[in-house]
Amino acid sequence: MKDFQPKIEAMVCTYCTYTAADMAGSQRLQYPSTVRIVKYPCTGRISIVHILKAFEAGADAVFVGGCEVGSCHFVEGNLRATERVAYAKKLLEETGLGSDRLDMFYIGASDPHGFVNAVNEMTDRVKEIGPNRLKGLG
Amino acid sequence: MIVAQQKDFDEIKEMIRGYKRLLVLGCQTCVAICFAGGKHEVEVLASMIRIDRKMAEQDVEITEDTIVRQCDFEFIDPIKDQVADSDAVLSLACGVGVQTLAERFPDKVILPGLNTDFMGMTEKMGVWSERCAGCGNCILDKTGGLCPIARCSKGLLNGPCGGSVDGKCEISPDVDCVWQLIIDRLKGLNQLERLEEILPVKDWGVSGHGGPRKIVREDLTA
Amino acid sequence: MYATKQAVISKDHDREIEPTIFYIDIRAQGKGFDRYYERARYGGGVRYVRSMVSRVVENPDRSLEITYVDESGEISKEDFDLVVLSVGLRPNSAMRDLAQKLDIELNQFGFCRSGRLDTVATSRDGFFVCGAFQRPKDIPNTVIQASSAAGAATGLLADARGTMVKEESYCEERDVKDQAPRIGVFVCHCGSNIAGAVDVKAVAEYARSLPDVVFADEYLFTCSTDTQNEMKNVIEQEQLNRVVVASCSPRTHEGLFQDTLRETGLNKYLFEMANIRDQCSWVHAAGGVDVTEKAKDLVRMSVARSARLVPLSETAFEVTPAALVVGGGMAALTAALSLAEHGHKAYVVEKSEKLGGSARFIHYTEDGARPAERVKELIRNVEKNPLITVYTNAEVLDCSGHVGQFASTILAAGKKHSISYGVGIIAMGGKMHKPKEYLYGEDDRVLTQRDFEQQLAAGGDELADVKDVVMIQCVGSREEGHSYCSRVCCTDAIKNSRKFKELNPAANIYVLFRDIRTFGFKEIYYKKAREEGVRFIRYEPESKPRVIEGDRLQVSVYDQNMRAEIGIEADRVVLSAAIRPYAESRKLADVFKLPLDEDGFFMEAHLKLRPLEFANAGFFLCGQVHGPKFMDESIAQAKGAVSRACTILSKKEMFAGGDVAFVDETKCVLCMTCVRTCPYGVPKIDEEEGVIVINAAACQGCGSCAVACPRGAITVGHNTDEQYIAKIGALHGLVAAAG
Repeated sequence: MKDFQPKIEAMVCTYCTYTAADMAGSQRLQYPSTVRIVKYPCTGRISIVHILKAFEAGADAVFVGGCEVGSCHFVEGNLRATERVAYAKKLLEETGLGSDRLDMFYIGASDPHGFVNAVNEMTDRVKEIGPNRLKGLG
Repeated sequence: MIVAQQKDFDEIKEMIRGYKRLLVLGCQTCVAICFAGGKHEVEVLASMIRIDRKMAEQDVEITEDTIVRQCDFEFIDPIKDQVADSDAVLSLACGVGVQTLAERFPDKVILPGLNTDFMGMTEKMGVWSERCAGCGNCILDKTGGLCPIARCSKGLLNGPCGGSVDGKCEISPDVDCVWQLIIDRLKGLNQLERLEEILPVKDWGVSGHGGPRKIVREDLTA
Repeated sequence: MYATKQAVISKDHDREIEPTIFYIDIRAQGKGFDRYYERARYGGGVRYVRSMVSRVVENPDRSLEITYVDESGEISKEDFDLVVLSVGLRPNSAMRDLAQKLDIELNQFGFCRSGRLDTVATSRDGFFVCGAFQRPKDIPNTVIQASSAAGAATGLLADARGTMVKEESYCEERDVKDQAPRIGVFVCHCGSNIAGAVDVKAVAEYARSLPDVVFADEYLFTCSTDTQNEMKNVIEQEQLNRVVVASCSPRTHEGLFQDTLRETGLNKYLFEMANIRDQCSWVHAAGGVDVTEKAKDLVRMSVARSARLVPLSETAFEVTPAALVVGGGMAALTAALSLAEHGHKAYVVEKSEKLGGSARFIHYTEDGARPAERVKELIRNVEKNPLITVYTNAEVLDCSGHVGQFASTILAAGKKHSISYGVGIIAMGGKMHKPKEYLYGEDDRVLTQRDFEQQLAAGGDELADVKDVVMIQCVGSREEGHSYCSRVCCTDAIKNSRKFKELNPAANIYVLFRDIRTFGFKEIYYKKAREEGVRFIRYEPESKPRVIEGDRLQVSVYDQNMRAEIGIEADRVVLSAAIRPYAESRKLADVFKLPLDEDGFFMEAHLKLRPLEFANAGFFLCGQVHGPKFMDESIAQAKGAVSRACTILSKKEMFAGGDVAFVDETKCVLCMTCVRTCPYGVPKIDEEEGVIVINAAACQGCGSCAVACPRGAITVGHNTDEQYIAKIGALHGLVAAAG
């Protein structure tokens, strides 16, 4: 358990998870300052390359936040994201970084606690497995 | 089209071991369409190699590029500088592309990132199946448009072997017995009698069994 | 439904929880509700006990004991840890006062009194009602009624539409295409909302040090008019060509700042926002070095993205001020007239040779309304309305275009007509299922409720010597292959029973049911029916009633109360047959590329929150094409659909382009991956050019196709890979300037 401040990139969709994150703000829910959100119109826009680049850039963890299954604002973007995240996890396993640093959460627009839980879970996970060694390796 | 799959990452890692400057070269034709070696796959693989090397605290310098096709010299020639600046080229083309590169750049190590599988079609997104064996002497007119050379596990030309169960090949319930399909198709076309035609012995000399093939079209040679 | 939902969710929280629901009838008549209930009951771990509870007492160990009697009359006691009461909804007591002030009448229960067929109309002209104040209802019907009330109101105001609008005008756009990025960063204090946890001064200073940033400063409130003006000055003075505002959420404020940019001649797509309030200071209120660090990170990431933003142009296209209404029944005609009331043209395309649909056969409702007469009135009004064109014996052959500009060919009585329209409303209704059981079609004495109603409405002469009637509910509904409730049949059975009793007070009527779903105020009529002597016998779907031919019809059923098989000799058996979608729905779904649900009814954009429209832009739906419903509900949904459609039709022009996908024709090889990926069916083949084209007006901008394209031939404006990778890559520091 190192005493390091993890940096987590969250790739989230505008209509659901980003809205939930905003709502967490309106409700003044408190969570660790580890996450940096990247806003997408839909998680269906997230390419595996984006996820890998996040790790290359030194992100200690990455999580994808999309609409709940069946409620995607753009019908099935979240299903595309689910498939791609599963594949990316497999690739990360093969590179030695491990698949635990990446995950997908389904957080509806009216679920600020869901967002806070995701941040807490990934923060705890990363504190357990340690920092991304690629950080600062140029 | 040609259908291929990327090699296991472990195998690729072993192939590129020791090479510091890599050119990862993709192809935008067949292998892009079956999501094995196009621009996106180049980006992903390059990322994985960088991550893997950095985790092992080893150096790597990767140049990523993708050209239209690797089986025509005209597309390969423009990237000769990138090839020259690399210690090895990891080609994500089919076996044809890899060899064309090697022929053009005989002094460079050209490595195959893919396993070339077969000539096939897209059944639906993510599913490709073999259709043609390139035998050089097409008999699809006689079999209702279904190829027993490519699709019969035993390569039988004269009819079913009798081992099928419910229309599936005896090697696996997931494989259709193509002879069942042929019979159903010819029946539907009212051409079932074609199966009684006596076919001359197939000339396997033109199928590759007689040596590597070449086609020369006198009307097109400049 | 509330009880079922809470039971299911409680099990989600804790698998060990064992919920039991004590109920009289399960009224899961809404769209999708019956399936949800069945899933909860069979396999979902929720136990249901049909019963009446007499009391709840606390045991010495503080557990609660429920005493109840089940259907067979047996009394039982059970202990529970927690008892949850499904209480009813009462009107807000404050409404009595308000109703008096507004001079609106309330009904006997204190809810707003509304029209029987026009449920949004109150007792006072110009005042409309919607939601639970009109009658307790679920979310989808609330949303439908809300739009319906809005539509009723805007219809009255149609002449005044647009008369109070102030047009915004922007100066000519500066061409920044060949310039290196000159980024300005405006960091907001938001009073103390941000400054309380983030060192705003340090963030602004940090921003100044970033590559491509030529200006950065801090402000108290970036959204205030003063600051807006200052921003405009800065943009002009410093010749900024990219703007980053670090403040609150783009969800609320992006539009405001984009307007500011436009007023200085900058393209609105050159704007980027960093959320350092809702997603930073507000959620890390303790502040500290790490929080300021996060704010700096977010600003740096936004600066990296903004350097790679490019101006995008949107092209304006005219909105065709007309609507296509597919169908010719109550919903379709109500929609057409509402459209005309709003001043828009409507094309009505009816398949059969007559207008009116199913409403022609519904002569009376349980509460005395007369749909058949109403629809005749609507037909008269439609036929004489100059804004409405009616095609009968007609069908829609094709549809091309995009929202605001659709075109279709109508084949009407052998002739083809080309029409242009801005929106489409699907209102082709539903049909009555023709049962293949209970001797229907084999014996004339077995009728459907509709057949029965025609005879009753005609005076009952054909029923002169009919004394004993058995009605069978749920024929074709709530069964394998059709696990939905047809919603109207319980009420139909009760209304027809009472009608028949009126004609023949000595008649014996038995209603064989599974649940009686007379929801809301319809419950009054269920009570009346029982008081008038109509007998209700419950049957389980596993042991359906049997009807055997004979001199009289022999009906046998296992009575759940008596726990015995009983036989009834009947003169007539009336079947409450299901409502099914028309087979033509499939064809139409293909023509318009609209989705159907698993039961063949059309699928709305969102079951609860968007029940009037499709995910496909420009298309709306109403009436039984959406699912079985009552006449008043079809009428409300028709007005609601029109209200939603008017948000498009009321515009002179719309804009296409900007953050949508476009195909690089030099890279497209027609592999069809994008066609298979897009959930809206937008990518189309241009045979002549041999490439895929994406209609900018139809594209929803989700980006799934761009990621799927194996050759990277598709780019999504304002959402390019380069922009994302730059933002993501800036997590720990900026690598290189883009300029």
